[in-house]
Amino acid sequence: MMWIRKAKDLHKEPRWWVVGLVLGLLITFAIYFSITVFTKTSLRLDEAQSLFQTNRDIGGVLNLVAQDVHVPGYHILLHYWQLIFGNDIQTARYMSLVFFAALIPAVYTLASYVFNRRVGLFAATLITISPFMDWYGSEARMYVMLAFFTVIHQLAFLKLFKEGKSVHWVWYTLTAIAGIYTHYFFAFVLLTEVVFYLLARKDFAAPKAFRKFLIAGVLVVASITPWLLYVNSLGFASNTQPNLNEPTSVDLFNTYAQFIFGFQVDSLNTIIVSMWPIVVLLAFFGLQKNKSTPREAIFFVAAAIVPVLGAFIVSVTITPFFQSRYLIVALPALMIFVAWALSQYPRKISLLLKSILVLGIAGLFIVQVLNPNTPVKEDYRDAVGYLNEKASNRDVIILSAPFTIYPTEYYYKGDTKIVTEPIWDRFSQGSVPAFDEAKLPEDIKNTTQSYQNAWIMLSYDQGYNETIRKYMDGNYERTSAKEFSKNLWVYSYKIRYDPPISLAE
Amino acid sequence: MEFLKTIRASPILLTINLILSVAYFVFIAAFSPIGNPVMFGILVAAGLFHLWQVLGYLHSVWPRKRVRQFDATFTPPVGVFITVCGEPNDIVEETVIAAKAMDYPNFSIYILNDGKVANRDNWKEAEVLAKKHKIKCITRTTPGGAKAGNINHALAQTKEEFTVIFDADHVPKVHFLRAMMGYFSDERVAFVQSPQYYKNHDENMVTGGAWEQQALFFGAILKGKDTADTAFMCGTNMILRRTALMEAGGMCETSIAEDFLTSLLIHEKKWKSVYVDEVLAEGLAPEDFLSYYKQQFRWARGSLEVVFKYNPLFRRGLTMGQRIQYLSSASFYLSGLIVVVNALLPLLYFYAALEPLQINTMSLALIFLPYIFVVLYTIQLTSNFSYTFRALSFSLSSFPIHCKAVWQILTGKKSGFVVTSKKKVSGNFSYLVTPHLVYIGLVILGIIVGLVREGVSAAIITNTAWAVIYIAIFTPFIMAAFEKTSPNDDEIKIAPEKKVAV
Repeated sequence: MMWIRKAKDLHKEPRWWVVGLVLGLLITFAIYFSITVFTKTSLRLDEAQSLFQTNRDIGGVLNLVAQDVHVPGYHILLHYWQLIFGNDIQTARYMSLVFFAALIPAVYTLASYVFNRRVGLFAATLITISPFMDWYGSEARMYVMLAFFTVIHQLAFLKLFKEGKSVHWVWYTLTAIAGIYTHYFFAFVLLTEVVFYLLARKDFAAPKAFRKFLIAGVLVVASITPWLLYVNSLGFASNTQPNLNEPTSVDLFNTYAQFIFGFQVDSLNTIIVSMWPIVVLLAFFGLQKNKSTPREAIFFVAAAIVPVLGAFIVSVTITPFFQSRYLIVALPALMIFVAWALSQYPRKISLLLKSILVLGIAGLFIVQVLNPNTPVKEDYRDAVGYLNEKASNRDVIILSAPFTIYPTEYYYKGDTKIVTEPIWDRFSQGSVPAFDEAKLPEDIKNTTQSYQNAWIMLSYDQGYNETIRKYMDGNYERTSAKEFSKNLWVYSYKIRYDPPISLAE
Repeated sequence: MEFLKTIRASPILLTINLILSVAYFVFIAAFSPIGNPVMFGILVAAGLFHLWQVLGYLHSVWPRKRVRQFDATFTPPVGVFITVCGEPNDIVEETVIAAKAMDYPNFSIYILNDGKVANRDNWKEAEVLAKKHKIKCITRTTPGGAKAGNINHALAQTKEEFTVIFDADHVPKVHFLRAMMGYFSDERVAFVQSPQYYKNHDENMVTGGAWEQQALFFGAILKGKDTADTAFMCGTNMILRRTALMEAGGMCETSIAEDFLTSLLIHEKKWKSVYVDEVLAEGLAPEDFLSYYKQQFRWARGSLEVVFKYNPLFRRGLTMGQRIQYLSSASFYLSGLIVVVNALLPLLYFYAALEPLQINTMSLALIFLPYIFVVLYTIQLTSNFSYTFRALSFSLSSFPIHCKAVWQILTGKKSGFVVTSKKKVSGNFSYLVTPHLVYIGLVILGIIVGLVREGVSAAIITNTAWAVIYIAIFTPFIMAAFEKTSPNDDEIKIAPEKKVAV
């Protein structure tokens, strides 16, 4: 009878101490990699903005964030975090790491509540080894915090669906307010819930759910309204959008590829997304006798698709704001759905597919870490270190896009003059002025005329970096060019050959 | 029975399904840059067929209410026909015993013995059996019309207005007649059909695959057809009204899918039909690959005859819903051609870099994935999650059978009615999956050719993924062909392919 007992054991839920042990190991893994690998990477543009925006009093924080495209929840928290623990980039990144560490058990709790402990543990594993999540889990930005609030909010929502207690309404509303104050894209989480409610309204355990959702919605809108009025009163709302391209279907699938396999170079990413028909095969494998799809699984499908598709449609039809990091709200749901779907296959196939997936993700995790050309890497530290070493006070440093001034000034210790193209005085002008090609010669002449060399650092192309480079190549002698990370170039040009006239002469 | 439980798909889901299906076809046909024009034309034709199949399915499962008249006290005399054509005696006897045990006040049992005209060695056994159980045996001495001829011959020798048809292996339950006869209280009901359930579906891969295919048909599809007043006869486990049958000219003897065609002819005369969603008799699935192959071929050939010779679109007397349903069912067997077309696309790319469309593969994914996922979910939901990957595999992998049937129809080659063996036939049937094995070989070679030509390109990867899908789909079918079965005393060593003289 031994084999019978063994067979039964295979289907048993893991005991609580096993769960605790696995979650502990996963959190340790996340923290270890974050501290040893990710937090040691160069400051990135967005992080520099976070530091710049939060390194002032609360009024100043709110003022700067209002000029940006974000809501202030993360920045306020980071402001106080820095007051307590210090204001270097490492410390700022540790705040994200705290949310990442909390996200892992949160995902487990959500998935095990809806399905079972096995699905919960596998979903937590996927979240932990996700190169995408690890990247943002140690970035001084709000994305992992957004993912955390999304998960605990979705837990409240599904508790309303399955249990419907009064305390869940409070939980639901508070997490919704926290979410919407973390990122505007949390609205897509709420949109998903509206869609799911329309599909499954009859199955909600919560009594008078429609009325209560309406009340919760009103409270959320009321809570965010003061902020929106404040943004509007500053008058920056119309020109705070980043300069993004209209997304294509490739971007849409790249988002999901990034969610699961991280940021890879184009050649590798092409291979990953080109394998999309395999998803059809997995769906075919899912055709199994008496294996129904529970409503909750439909919820996770919706939560993984609606934000991405919604952002895509709005970006194509109204204004582009499609960024995979903004869509991190869809990632936990995607991982939970994948974990559940793979658990539905016959045991051997399930084990095989799970192993392939974990090994694939882990392999690409390593590639993302080791490959210097990984797209999201921004090596301002080395680029600015290079400028520190090479540029002198007889030279001028020109930055484009202008907002790359933030990471540059974080690392720059020299006394070379730094200007931007287009010329931007962020303290008086507010948002970045538009680039005017006709003004470029005059700008360059004015900023370089009294210097021997110009060091041009081009990154975060806003559509005119190539124009600047061509202009410089056509009018000055290029003396060096070096790429520090993908699309982060430093060029040097000889402006004049005679030494500058000194007052003594 | 799970497959008979109804999950009514919401009209919203079905409408989304429809929109996505149409959108996919329109995208392919009208908004995609054309690659190779011939391949594009074939792909559009295949897309149109897919769309047609989806429309047919959606029409079947669209929620409709139909109130049936049922009078439990309606108990006229019934003739119970058990059609026999050389099946083993023990199998026939089990059916006879169960038929005799049926709870009904007034019925007579007849063994319709076609063993003699089919030159079966054991044809006399049926007469002995009838004598043993004190029932009548009607043995034909003049061949013609196969099973339909057998039934027509018996009808001429009996008088009951209502006739039950059981295949030799279909064992009725006690309440079979009680559950079915009440529907005939509606004087316009011509026949009542109940599901064909394979009690041996767990026996091996073939019986499993055969049954899982059947489950979708006898579950969601036939229940849907019933609400559209298009439930058709399935050859066994059915009761016929003699008047209606005679008005349609009797069981049609010119087709090997006599039940399907006779149903159409009856519906043309404005008669109604009923499908009872309860398993009232249990039969046997083909137990070996050869028998399955022959059964599928007979169904394919017979159904396609309806498309080409009795096209429902051009028949008078049918409602639009009935035209759609009949054509949808009959044309299903054209899907083998579509499988060939789709499976060849990766090969054409590997060997000749030919593509029907010159579009970004991700754009195709954007329109294709929602379409296929919603279609699959709808099938799962409406079949109460009884449809399986193996059923899909058996359906799609039967493409050589379907193509052979199309070829025979187009070339006018005649095909005899081959009775599905009720005993396992042993032998090596791997030759029946030669096309699938050749395909796998061509794919492996093709990938190498493609890689040598252009390296690891997006197109090579995507086409490889498609080819892998087809190989995965063919795998259960191939495994069934190679499945080794344990020696069985009852099994037949390669069945002599005796055809009933028509």
